[in-house]
Amino acid sequence: MRMKSPTALIPGLYLTLFFAYLFGPLIIMVITAFNSSTFPRVSPWECFTTDWFGKLASDDKLLSGLGNSLLIGVGVVCVAIPIGLAAAITLSQVGPKLRAALYTIFIAPILVPGVVIGLSTLIFWDRIGTLFNAPYESFFYDGTFLTIFGQVTFIAAYSMLVFLSRIQRFDTTLTEAALDMGATPTQAFVKVLLPFMAPAIGSATVLAFLASLENYNTTVFTIVSSSTFTTVLSSKVRYGLDPSISAVAVIIIAITLIGAIIYECRNRYYTKGWAHVIAERPALKIATHPGTVAVILGVLTLAAVLFIQNHDSSVCTAQVLEEKRALQQQLMEQQSINTPQQAVPAPTMPNLGPLGGDEGGASAPSPFGNNIFSPENLGTSAREGN
Amino acid sequence: MTKEISLEHVWVEFGEFTAVHKANLNIAGGEFFSFLGPSGCGKTTLLRCISGFQEPTRGKVKIGGQDMRGVGPNKRPTALIFQNLALFPLRSVADNIAFPLEVRGVDKKTRRKRADELLELIALPGQGDKKVSELSGGQKQRVAIARALAVEPDILLLDEPLSALDLKLRQHMRTELRAIQKQVGLTFIYITHDQGEALTMSDRIAVMNKGKIEQIGDGKAIYDHPTTSFVASFVGENNVLDGTVLSNDGKVMKIDAGLGTPFTVENHPAGGPALAPGDACHLFVRPEALRLSKDDGAINQFETNFITEEFEGNMRHIVMNASGTDLKLSLINDGTNAIDANTPVKLDFAPEMGIALKPGELASA
Amino acid sequence: MRDLFYDLVRRNGMAVSIYLMLAVSLWVFILIILPQLTMLDYSFRFNLPPAKIGGPEDVYTLEQYRYFFQGSGASDGLNTLDIGILFKTLLAAVFVTVFDLIICYPVAFVLAKSSTGAKARLLVLALIVPYWINEILRAFAFRILFGATGVINETGMGLGLWDTPIDFIRQDVALYAGLAYAYILLMIFPLYNAIESLDRNQIEAARDMGANWWQVHAKVVIPYAKPGIASGMTMVFMLTSGALAAPQILGGPSNLWFTQLVYQWFNSGGNWPRGSAYAMVLLIVCIALVLLVMRLFKVSIGEIKQ
Repeated sequence: MRMKSPTALIPGLYLTLFFAYLFGPLIIMVITAFNSSTFPRVSPWECFTTDWFGKLASDDKLLSGLGNSLLIGVGVVCVAIPIGLAAAITLSQVGPKLRAALYTIFIAPILVPGVVIGLSTLIFWDRIGTLFNAPYESFFYDGTFLTIFGQVTFIAAYSMLVFLSRIQRFDTTLTEAALDMGATPTQAFVKVLLPFMAPAIGSATVLAFLASLENYNTTVFTIVSSSTFTTVLSSKVRYGLDPSISAVAVIIIAITLIGAIIYECRNRYYTKGWAHVIAERPALKIATHPGTVAVILGVLTLAAVLFIQNHDSSVCTAQVLEEKRALQQQLMEQQSINTPQQAVPAPTMPNLGPLGGDEGGASAPSPFGNNIFSPENLGTSAREGN
Repeated sequence: MTKEISLEHVWVEFGEFTAVHKANLNIAGGEFFSFLGPSGCGKTTLLRCISGFQEPTRGKVKIGGQDMRGVGPNKRPTALIFQNLALFPLRSVADNIAFPLEVRGVDKKTRRKRADELLELIALPGQGDKKVSELSGGQKQRVAIARALAVEPDILLLDEPLSALDLKLRQHMRTELRAIQKQVGLTFIYITHDQGEALTMSDRIAVMNKGKIEQIGDGKAIYDHPTTSFVASFVGENNVLDGTVLSNDGKVMKIDAGLGTPFTVENHPAGGPALAPGDACHLFVRPEALRLSKDDGAINQFETNFITEEFEGNMRHIVMNASGTDLKLSLINDGTNAIDANTPVKLDFAPEMGIALKPGELASA
Repeated sequence: MRDLFYDLVRRNGMAVSIYLMLAVSLWVFILIILPQLTMLDYSFRFNLPPAKIGGPEDVYTLEQYRYFFQGSGASDGLNTLDIGILFKTLLAAVFVTVFDLIICYPVAFVLAKSSTGAKARLLVLALIVPYWINEILRAFAFRILFGATGVINETGMGLGLWDTPIDFIRQDVALYAGLAYAYILLMIFPLYNAIESLDRNQIEAARDMGANWWQVHAKVVIPYAKPGIASGMTMVFMLTSGALAAPQILGGPSNLWFTQLVYQWFNSGGNWPRGSAYAMVLLIVCIALVLLVMRLFKVSIGEIKQ
């Protein structure tokens, strides 16, 4: 055996760097959600605040978009899963030549740009609608329906891939055995093949739902005049950066992490080695049960929500505001010294924008800060130039 | 109820490839019948023709006198035990056994009762709620049999069901299978490439090669009186010598195999087609038929040299060389029969133990 | 077709076969083929007000494609702006694809060959988790990171590497980093799958016969993983060149992505035929490029998997 050379550390180092690239941007985004600065940033750090979450709760556009997204997600799952399953089964039963041809067609929607799929779906149903002289309110022009059709086009292909990898491990003699035992082909399908596919149906459903929820390229065309969570987010991002978007990210990342933790716990709980360890220790058995883990995480989430609702950063924000005002005042005074021909600035409220600073600085009646109107807005927007 | 099966001129062709070549045979009700042959000989295809997964290209499969063409596997009075058993992994043992009843719409209570009865029969009482994965190899085997019996078939088809088991268990299951067959009295059709299985269990055996049935007969006939070179070389061990028939008087033949004095070999009524003087032939002599000559000048005597010996405890397997041809010799390990490795040894065999057949394809070792 | 249906019925029974046929044909014809054909048809038409559609003026034309090549100019001048954008998009997509391949290959290799059991599963989970987060938010994260007061500029200036904030957005650095980030997963998994099935002994045998580490990769691993590399590159390239969200959020104000042109013709331009023609151009050029590269590397499309 040779000694472990320093080069042996390279893979570990590389992985660290790689995961830093993967998670770094997300972590920074999470941090910005808690900075009271109106522009999402880490430094300068102003105040720890949870106000941005409050702002989300009152964002009707985002909430109605979310509602649409969930509806579309459910619709996509209902259509794409049966299609994907049928496609995978068909592929597993046809001859090699036809299989190759079908596979190319089935896989194409994944490779075709989402923009193209969205556009073609929109045009196609518009044509059909015109053909039938359908009124504008009919589903041919309805954003929700069009988006479901558009997304199913490629999400069905994703789910097909999931099913295909499962069906490749299916022992076809099981179907033959069922037939031989007197089952009709339909019974063999329902009682043997379908139960075997059940886990894949579960994972394909999750995958399809998530893919639907986060799709933008296709949806932006097919949604027409309606909106989804993602299209609302996109327009928010494009028309002004604002830490409440980071707050959205925090919520999604939290949900994702909770999902991942429960998934991993479930996996460990049901693997043999782990089961052996906890078998004799009932306390540990209860503690590691995925259900228990879910409950603990649920309680933590509830605590976080309560904290967010009750945390009051108004004192700190007021202070920061005060400092800014002082700084601005100072600058202004300097300016007036430099340019004596200008009128002496009013001592009370220099040009602080329409609502002035007093209201935001002194009392802050609502828990969701008034800092939207705070003077630093002027400063940042000037600097960022959005 | 058992039913006889007849195959009438059954051909199965996959494009250019002929998997089954004009199979003709009758299997009586209640018989334990085996198809024996190397892998790829067409025996599984023939089984699939009987179970209904494969339609013959030409010819008829009749069960109980009825032509089965167009009758699907779920409509035939057969039950198949698959090579990998094909137990449903997601169902419990009892649900596996009761599956045939379930698809026939039998209610849950009756199903469970029948499953328990069958578990009793296969000596696994009270194990119905176990998962299939919790069973041992032999137990799975028996569950597969129970499931097949739950169909109440007339014919049970078994496709090399013991091949996945270890040697000990395999030998045990042979006896058990035969016992079950006697108990339920069904026709068993058994597919195997293992001659030991075929010889010990079957009433009759069909030996197949390259899609053709070479010989049909009981174990003794197949072993003692093979009718083709393939059967002679495939079933059991055999020494083969190339020879020429010098004379044939209907009772005995004289065969020159290039080892000195011509050999005398008896014709047998159950043997292969008769040979005429001048015909080339394969002369087969089993290792246990060869013996060390007690005295000089015995009939069918020839000289050999010692090559090597394999010791197996009760038997000694010795390889000798006679003018360039290696011959195997099996001797009982009873303390006699010492062989001097350095001097030539004389061997002989009885005329009724030699088998002369038309030259044909030999089974590869 | 009829034989196929009979075969399906024999295997699955009537009810299931009807479901299979119906689901597959619905997908293939109504969702995939007919919409594409309609779009193709649309791209050969004039942009007419609804009243005139189907009227005498509604005839086939190459006008929309001519516009892409020649612009609004009368005859000879090339539409350098739009063609330029197409080239820039393709070039950038190639760059992003190669970049992803380079950074993902070592990760996939380490994952496939050095990690086992729980550790590997955890690493895979760590790779997937960022992709459960919305595409828009991921782009937004890069916007924050690369902003004038973002972490990168602050760190760079804090360390004295540069004095004034660098405009990463205008330089498209943020866009490339964001795009590369967006499709890392689609590169890693085909690579991982391909490398994982490689017998470890082959690597050890090559080592044993005196190959050094880069020879092992160049002569054993990479040739073996070629189908995985091809499918990863195809996916990343197609998705990058067809991306819309990241360019909209991270793209510089003066640098457009080709998909944004399609979007503009469609939405603000209100010219569906021209949008269709541009989409067709994008689709055809991308497919042609992928097929060409596949032909060069002797890989077939059937090997593309996720």
